[in-house]
Amino acid sequence: MLALVIAHFAIAGLSPALTRLLGRRVFLALATVPLATLVWALAQTATIRDGGSVVRTISWLPSLDFDIALRMDVLQWLMVLIVSGIGVLVMAYCAWYFDNDDPSLARFAGVFVSFAGAMLGLVLSDDLLLLYVFWELTTVFSYLLIGNDPAKRASRLAATQALVVTTLGGLAMLVGILMLGQLSGTHRASELIADPPSGAMATAALVLVLVGALSKSALIPFHFWLPGAMAAPTPVSAYLHAASMVKAGVFLVALLAPGFALAAGWHGIILTLGVLTMLLGGWRALRQYDIKLLLAYGTVSQLGFLLTIFAIGTRAAALAGLAMLLAHALFKATLFLVVGIIDKSTGTRDLRELSGLARRMPVVFATAVVAAASMAGLPPMLGFVGKESVFAALLDVASTTGGDGTGIASYAGWLVVVGIVLGSVLTMAYTLRFLWAAFATKEGVAPAPAKPVPAGFAAAPVVLAALTLGLGFAGSGLTRLFEPHLALYPEGAHHAELALWHGLGLPLALSGIVVLIGVFLFVKRKVFAQFQALTSWTWSTERIYRNGMRSLDRAAVEVTGTTQVGSVAAYLTFILLVVLALPGAVMVANFSGSVDVIAWDHPAQAVVGAIVILAALFTTRSRRRLRAVLLVGVTGYGTAMLFLLHGAPDLALTQVLVETTSLVVFVLVLRRLPDYFTDRPLSNRRWFRMALGAAVGLGVAGFMILATNARSQPPVSDGFPGPALEFGGGHSMISVILLDMRAWDTMGEISVLVAAATGVASLIFLDTRMSGIRRVFEIPYPETVEKIPTAPGRRVWLPGPRTLTPDRRSIIFEVITRLMFHTMIVLSIYLLFAGHNHVGGGFAAGMVTGLALVVRYLAGGRYELDEAAPVDAGMLMGTGLFVATASALAPMAFGGAVLQSAELTFHLGPLGDPHLVTSTFFDVGVYLVVVGLLLDLLRTFGSRLDRQILREEREAETPAAGGARL
Amino acid sequence: MCTGPVGDPDRGDRVSANLTLIITASFMIGCGVYLILERSLTRVLVGLIMLGNGANLLFMVAGGPAGKPPIIGTAPTEEMADPLPQALVLTAIVIALGTTAFLLAMAHRSWQLNGNDDVQDDLEDAAIRQLAATDDVSDSHELSQEASAEEDAEEEVYEEEGAEQ
Amino acid sequence: MTMTALVPLPVVLALFGAGTTLMLSRRPRAQRFVTISILTAIAAIAAILLVEADRNGPQVLWVGGWASPLGIALVADRLAALMLLVSAVVTLLVLLYSLGQGMTGDSRKAPMSVYHPTFLVLVAGVSNAFLAGDLFNLFVSFEMLLFASYVLLTLGGTEARIRAGTIYVVVNMLSSALFLVSLAAVYAATGSLNLAQLSQRLGEVSDGTSLMLQLLLLTTFAIKAAVFPLSFWLPDSYPTAPAPVTAVFAGLLTKVGVYAILRVQVLLFPDSHLSDLLLWAALLTMVIGILGAIAQSDIKRMLSFTLVSHIGYMIFGIGLASAAGISGAIFYVAHHITIQTALFLVVGLIERRAGSTGLIRIGGLAALSPVLAILFFVPAMNLAGIPPMSGFIGKVGLLQAGIDDGSWLALVLVAGGTITSLLTLYAVAKTWSLAFWRTPEQAHEMMLALPGLEEGQEASDDKHEITRHGQHIHMAGTAFGTRELEEARRVIDSDAPDRDLYQRLADNSLPKRLPLSMVLPTTALIAFSLVLTVVAGPLFGFTDRAADDLLERTPYVHAVLGEDG
Repeated sequence: MLALVIAHFAIAGLSPALTRLLGRRVFLALATVPLATLVWALAQTATIRDGGSVVRTISWLPSLDFDIALRMDVLQWLMVLIVSGIGVLVMAYCAWYFDNDDPSLARFAGVFVSFAGAMLGLVLSDDLLLLYVFWELTTVFSYLLIGNDPAKRASRLAATQALVVTTLGGLAMLVGILMLGQLSGTHRASELIADPPSGAMATAALVLVLVGALSKSALIPFHFWLPGAMAAPTPVSAYLHAASMVKAGVFLVALLAPGFALAAGWHGIILTLGVLTMLLGGWRALRQYDIKLLLAYGTVSQLGFLLTIFAIGTRAAALAGLAMLLAHALFKATLFLVVGIIDKSTGTRDLRELSGLARRMPVVFATAVVAAASMAGLPPMLGFVGKESVFAALLDVASTTGGDGTGIASYAGWLVVVGIVLGSVLTMAYTLRFLWAAFATKEGVAPAPAKPVPAGFAAAPVVLAALTLGLGFAGSGLTRLFEPHLALYPEGAHHAELALWHGLGLPLALSGIVVLIGVFLFVKRKVFAQFQALTSWTWSTERIYRNGMRSLDRAAVEVTGTTQVGSVAAYLTFILLVVLALPGAVMVANFSGSVDVIAWDHPAQAVVGAIVILAALFTTRSRRRLRAVLLVGVTGYGTAMLFLLHGAPDLALTQVLVETTSLVVFVLVLRRLPDYFTDRPLSNRRWFRMALGAAVGLGVAGFMILATNARSQPPVSDGFPGPALEFGGGHSMISVILLDMRAWDTMGEISVLVAAATGVASLIFLDTRMSGIRRVFEIPYPETVEKIPTAPGRRVWLPGPRTLTPDRRSIIFEVITRLMFHTMIVLSIYLLFAGHNHVGGGFAAGMVTGLALVVRYLAGGRYELDEAAPVDAGMLMGTGLFVATASALAPMAFGGAVLQSAELTFHLGPLGDPHLVTSTFFDVGVYLVVVGLLLDLLRTFGSRLDRQILREEREAETPAAGGARL
Repeated sequence: MCTGPVGDPDRGDRVSANLTLIITASFMIGCGVYLILERSLTRVLVGLIMLGNGANLLFMVAGGPAGKPPIIGTAPTEEMADPLPQALVLTAIVIALGTTAFLLAMAHRSWQLNGNDDVQDDLEDAAIRQLAATDDVSDSHELSQEASAEEDAEEEVYEEEGAEQ
Repeated sequence: MTMTALVPLPVVLALFGAGTTLMLSRRPRAQRFVTISILTAIAAIAAILLVEADRNGPQVLWVGGWASPLGIALVADRLAALMLLVSAVVTLLVLLYSLGQGMTGDSRKAPMSVYHPTFLVLVAGVSNAFLAGDLFNLFVSFEMLLFASYVLLTLGGTEARIRAGTIYVVVNMLSSALFLVSLAAVYAATGSLNLAQLSQRLGEVSDGTSLMLQLLLLTTFAIKAAVFPLSFWLPDSYPTAPAPVTAVFAGLLTKVGVYAILRVQVLLFPDSHLSDLLLWAALLTMVIGILGAIAQSDIKRMLSFTLVSHIGYMIFGIGLASAAGISGAIFYVAHHITIQTALFLVVGLIERRAGSTGLIRIGGLAALSPVLAILFFVPAMNLAGIPPMSGFIGKVGLLQAGIDDGSWLALVLVAGGTITSLLTLYAVAKTWSLAFWRTPEQAHEMMLALPGLEEGQEASDDKHEITRHGQHIHMAGTAFGTRELEEARRVIDSDAPDRDLYQRLADNSLPKRLPLSMVLPTTALIAFSLVLTVVAGPLFGFTDRAADDLLERTPYVHAVLGEDG
């Protein structure tokens, strides 16, 4: 079974290739798969008739209790025959319907056969979740089929509409299925029917499932999508209406009826909506102009009819239902295919333009008549047999007390009978209207020019019509076949039997009445049409859907308009408000008076703190950029001081270095930015911001006080000192932590620096990071300078004369710088290696080197910088990261853990035995990265901006010069 | 406010909050918040730096009472300040440097592009808000056309039917 | 040497690669080789760790070989390993794609010497975030991936990217500061930062305080994960980046936030009082997010909103706090990383093929490039939860968990999730209809007809399907601002470089076909998402086991601190 389903999708995959090969005959190739399915199903007939069932189960998602469980009993068997049989015929028909040069051929063929496959899977699924899978697949494929001609707006709309409506139902159904599964611990239809869950929850679940079924089968209030789906090519419509998609809902109801027919809500919902749909469909069908649309509304009507019968839940009804299901499939397919032929050969489906086709295409006409007769329920067609037994079954329900075991009240039963009879009357009427519209010779209408119909084109409808006729006489045989399914229902009032002749009785009488009134309605169609026009109502669920969608789109715009403010400040405010509302509120709620705080560890803290606070406040008030930057610097240095007072010299040192660097960088950039912040009028937003700031400040204070008071355990760092010395081999715990114990953090941290520097470079030199490094000796002296070096390319001690305009030079500064430079470098080297036991470390060392470069740059300009460090910053950082990670990986080579360190002691005889901790290599990496970072900052914010400024100055000068020349 | 001695047994290992540090930090954070809500990217950056410094101070609070520098041998270990928060803060400071550098680059770039370093609002959102402002729906208009078309067709049906034969 | 030695490699190797590629900045070919081989290696390692973690429990490494609990522990339990594997595969494919694209996400050519190292740092950060067994180390990994993302987002420094970048950078820097404050508070309260140790020590902290700490951390991570109401920054920042960058952001960064929420919620605060809060947040995230998607008229932005919206599903699972819920959430994360990334890659292809992702400018892509149509349709349907694909399975898992929970709020969430899934389908169907079905001519004529429209007037023969109401114009259920449209109109009239698809086709200024080097990685990723469907059975079994571990907590804690710990 599964193989057959998969085969459909497999051949769909091949369809593009096949199409290139065969043109439109590709459909014949594709038809082989449904054909195989048909043959296989027929081969199983014996098993099925004897009440056996074909089962295949593959476990797929045990954790969701979701298996690939396939099962074929009578009902499924019948559906398989319909799906595959009609599938074969329609595909064969397609081979004539389409043109070879149709560009969408390959896609269409592929989607169509996949659709057939999905439908096959649907009717074979026993696991309801699996059924849902195929259910949605049919939806998606039908979406693509309906939108087959996407250039037409109508088809795009219809496709989307069908998609949304049926998916809506589908999702409701999914939830329903899941609820059923949760209640009864299984998703298998067969097991659910065996003992159906009950209770409010079960009812809710059932209703949700029914929503799915009704939406798929286009019952009120979902009926409107089906006529829209007429945008699809006619063969699709034929398949959609007769064999698949809309039949899915019918199938589901028929499948669940044995278990749930007695459940609360079942009859109420389905019978009401079913009968109403039957009437509405018929009513609207009588008003259509496009004969295809007429049939479409006919389908809507018939679907209501079918669901009503299957919902009853007696043996007789079930039997009648199966018969009608088969009959409808046969005649509806035939009629659509006929419409297709007419459309194809005359180029129109409008009854105002069609005339005299009965004479011009007799075979087609005959076929249509047979099918129509079956639709109208005239003997000796299968449709008549079906309808007869429907009346019989309904009458049993209405007349016997207890509704023939269904618990349907007698009056309700009679209402259903009346409804169905009226529905059938309308059916009779629109059947005649169809025949008249399509084939009759209408005076005043020119006979439509019709191309001859090739035999192959007409074959499919003829076969179907033949079956319609033939099966009419096979009533008893069909009854045998259906026996096993009927056994699922309680024995009814009378023994049900399909037959052409039930003897004189109420059913026959009803059929008679139906025919009479139906004919009457058709004859008096003019009067009736006027009557319809009078009573035509403007209310329609389609409009409700439309308004729904409209308000949805509207809501979307509104909501998004309010939430997406698009301003950073607003988003930050949201975040801060959340912080105040959630943790803040909890903090306030738990804040007890008896918190335990100390004023300070050391009075000096208070003094520094006060300074910092003042600086902070002034920063917020300052309107000059530089001022703000300097003030924030003060808070930074203040913080460093507080670190020092707390007993954190390393921290203080680092903080100072970082602050200084930031200041330099700031100043370099501020050269370019306007002096003052853009002025904004004092607004009350400002007061709000102050309030927010204050609140957050208080909140944070509260967090800390509450948190510190919650401490009941010694800090993990109590265990550090011992291991730090023995295992880390260093006296300075900080550096042991940074380079060894938590070196992992440090590695991340330097990668952050690398990323940041790279980012700066990419933002300043937009295209490439390569800032050409120019050595001084490459630069010619300006004319003003006479002195020529003895040998070109020889390095000069003070490059100033070449690189700087005299007014920018300060010899003293340059000289001092040159003298300081090496001292600073030496200091940094010392810091690098001393770090492990004293204050310092790779980071501090790197910063010092960097600052040395900064000074060189400030004194001598960008060429001086390139003199001092003629290397590419990116290269430097890369090397740093490389060294660090390499030394992190190295220990693994010796079976150690990543970043594991060891002590090496060298014996240098007289020079003593210096010992080195391998983590120093890591530290060297850090050093390189930091130097690289500062170099990068100088190259970007320094040199690069210098160049930009210079260029702008030149640009400013040139036009002026030009002006002077004039 | 009691100034409990460090490591007093009845307080177990509870850390008593150093109010000075907390207040200083809170002020920096408060001012930082005020600044990051500004439009000028430089101000925002200054605010972020302050936030960072404030948060770093909080780690000192978390580490407990002040003490001697955590360099073994220079003082008995129990007198040392908790080294772990110091190490963490060191990492945080370095990352803050990255922050400063990158935001400055952005400020500069935005100045190059717009002549100021003000934070720009998002345009697409502006468009949507504009839609929302006008009280009209974002309807699938095609549908309503469909409807009208269909109704017209029906009207026709009646007339034609009436006129027929 | 046991497998635990492999645990740190995903991070160290990536950083090693970053260093190397920087050194090789003048040799693009060498850079490619390094990056590709390293990412492949990481994927392989992740796979091994996955098997190991599943067979022998969490793989723990104390970096530097320090005795617990002194140093930093890296932990690869089932959850972390799975995240690691998925992200490794995704990043590898995205990198290949961006190489194929030549990183010309826009007119300006971005420097390779920036892209490779930064991308690798991003990978290192993401991997480290999954492996971190220490709260501060988690902070560091966040900074790593954030800084890398800052750089990638502002690549080329165009005006749009600076605007978007500012929002992104500033918001995330605030969240980092918030994270620091939370860390200070946590350390103050417990004197430790090791997750395993915290899971024990926080038990002794008073309820009020621990709830406060929980909320602090939750807020921090919720910003990263873009949970309502902390999600608004995302759609404004992601879409402007080059396609592959947006793709990897959308796929991974938010999920890191989700991962952090899950880890912290379950490990540190087992008896959480926040389930209801999370469920409400999830509901709002889902619904408001998807409404945003419906309102958009640009594919990239539309997808950014679906991204936010579907974060809600994962929070839903976490909020349920049941094994089923968490398992479903984990599965959904794996699915969503893959599919959202794939979709953004496809959008990159659309941009390449049609010259724009604005729904005003494009149309008829289905006819223009059937391959592209398939590449978009399949993952789009997967995103919309169409069975039997992974999105559907994850959804079913979550809905089932919600129904099992049975509380009214959970059932409301079930309804919300279902509606969200329907609206997602509606949003992608609208996009499909406009971008793939409507012909370029129709698109063009619509636009020409647009700004001329008077109030209420309609240009409505079968070709243009539009009316004007007030300030905006509707077509096919999408509202376009008149300002926007007049802009587009000007584009059409002038010979501006970026014209709509119709014109570009007319003067064929578009590449005739898509470069295979971009199509193949995309296809591979989509295939990977389908593989997730095929192996859904075992995968869901795996996530079930992962969820049980998480709820039990002891496997993690014991693996880190030892049995006595």
